[in-house]
Amino acid sequence: MAKVLVIADIKQCVLKGSTAELLSKAKAIGAQTAVVAIGSHIESLIPGLVNAGSDTQYVADDPALELFSAGPYASCVVDAAKQFGADMVWFGFSESGKAVAPRVAVQLDAACATDITDVMLQGDQVEVKRPAITNKVIQRVKVNSGKLVAVVRAGAFEAAEGITGTENVVKLAPPAPDLKAVIKQIVSEASGDIDLTDANVVISVGRGAKDQAGVDMVKELAIDLNAGFGSSRAMVDAGFMPHYKQVGQTGKIVAPALYMAIGISGSIQHLAGMKGSKVILAVNKDPEAPIFNVADYGIVGDLFEVIPILREELKKIRTPA
Amino acid sequence: MELNIHVENGAIVEKGLQYVMNAWDENAVESSAQLKESKGAETTLVSIGGGDNTDIIRKAYAMGIENGIHIDDPALAKADSFMYAKVLQKVYEKGNYDLVITGKQAQDTDNGQTGIILAEYLKLPCVSNVIAIEVMDDRHIKVSRLGDTGTEIVELELPAVVTVDVTINEPRLPQMRGIMMAKKKAINVMDLAALGMSPDEVGGIAPKSETVEFIAPEKRKSGQKFEGEAAQITAQVVALLANEAKVI
Repeated sequence: MAKVLVIADIKQCVLKGSTAELLSKAKAIGAQTAVVAIGSHIESLIPGLVNAGSDTQYVADDPALELFSAGPYASCVVDAAKQFGADMVWFGFSESGKAVAPRVAVQLDAACATDITDVMLQGDQVEVKRPAITNKVIQRVKVNSGKLVAVVRAGAFEAAEGITGTENVVKLAPPAPDLKAVIKQIVSEASGDIDLTDANVVISVGRGAKDQAGVDMVKELAIDLNAGFGSSRAMVDAGFMPHYKQVGQTGKIVAPALYMAIGISGSIQHLAGMKGSKVILAVNKDPEAPIFNVADYGIVGDLFEVIPILREELKKIRTPA
Repeated sequence: MELNIHVENGAIVEKGLQYVMNAWDENAVESSAQLKESKGAETTLVSIGGGDNTDIIRKAYAMGIENGIHIDDPALAKADSFMYAKVLQKVYEKGNYDLVITGKQAQDTDNGQTGIILAEYLKLPCVSNVIAIEVMDDRHIKVSRLGDTGTEIVELELPAVVTVDVTINEPRLPQMRGIMMAKKKAINVMDLAALGMSPDEVGGIAPKSETVEFIAPEKRKSGQKFEGEAAQITAQVVALLANEAKVI
């Protein structure tokens, strides 16, 4: 039986949904599951780790692990993987996962695949699928080394209903600090914001909004819907939106239940960051805009006219008279 | 830019494709050129690949890089990130470098692994997804990294490896004078033997993973596009979001 170790996706002491998604997939391919949780003061997350579908919980809980540092985090994952005897180590889609996965692969002498969208297991043979060349092709990769470290693309797997695990907590010794790469602080612009990569609804604004007033108008819609508020590259470059809000190949990859592209033409780089969304709504005044090729619902119109109406109509639906 | 990629019999059709410098690597070249100008750093570009890479190295020269090393060996034709990192490790060990800068990922494979694996092989400190580099003193740099919850500020002891994001800078366009000079500059071309490595050492005989095939992705089925009076079509779409898609 294959053994899959999933890295718990913890942001600011909250367990994110990707953990249950990855554990569900591991169980679906018939694997034995464990999870490794790394951070400071994360004891309270243990019941959540069990409920997410893990049968063993490796926990590295230490004040020194409060701020992300790739070296010590990799040491914790390697420690857990060795104790568990993991054949596969899966990270959810995150900047920390992308930084740690290659290190873990070297230390475990495993293959490394990032951005995977599927895992196939036949006997001992593992294959993965991943998009490449800005989503222009799907690459099928065969793992030869027996072990695989993978970063799973956002939204690739779904959490199974009624999934649960067994509590079996194993405490990990705190890792040695990285004295040559010292994390000094994290400057958080995002405090209080809804996390784009975890939101049920994401609304992104593009060049069509023209200026700050346009951006603010679209933001009102995001506030109404309690949605994550993202951006095209153009609005980041123009200084109207912060960089961490950018959706696309070079920014965040999102896969919400509903994605609204407002005034975004839809470059292949942007599409690469949101094409995995379940339902896409686009508003653009250019009927030929490429975004309409991927949108389930397209409104051809001036966003300055459409957004106020959209807000009114959505309010009617959400608060029935 | 629209890129047309065609897949035939599980492989990408290369005919008509022209290879260019990876976007993130352009940022790495620009960062190096800036360190040359501001701190007097000596700069070297390493490129692994076939004959097309000559143009890429000349572009880096035109942007201000001083030395170019081109590793060209048929044994690397299907190299993975680990093999590239092994080769780069050898190049690093033959030189005397304080800082290795790579793009954070390749535009074609989007793997984002090579720089980090190289650091792991070299046992050097490493920060990925870097958006700013500040030189503190001869032995230390301070970098900003885009992390999951904000910008992470990390102090690194040199020698070190950083992988850079596109937002770190705006790569300069080579000027005519630089382009002319770049044409005359020598490139140090080496195969694995010249580097002192066997294909076996690089891992070429037993890669950890290999591509079975490339598949054309499933297209999203095209949806419904509404044109006409804004109030009417918007109400229509909201009704569909609620009743058909059931996402509101």
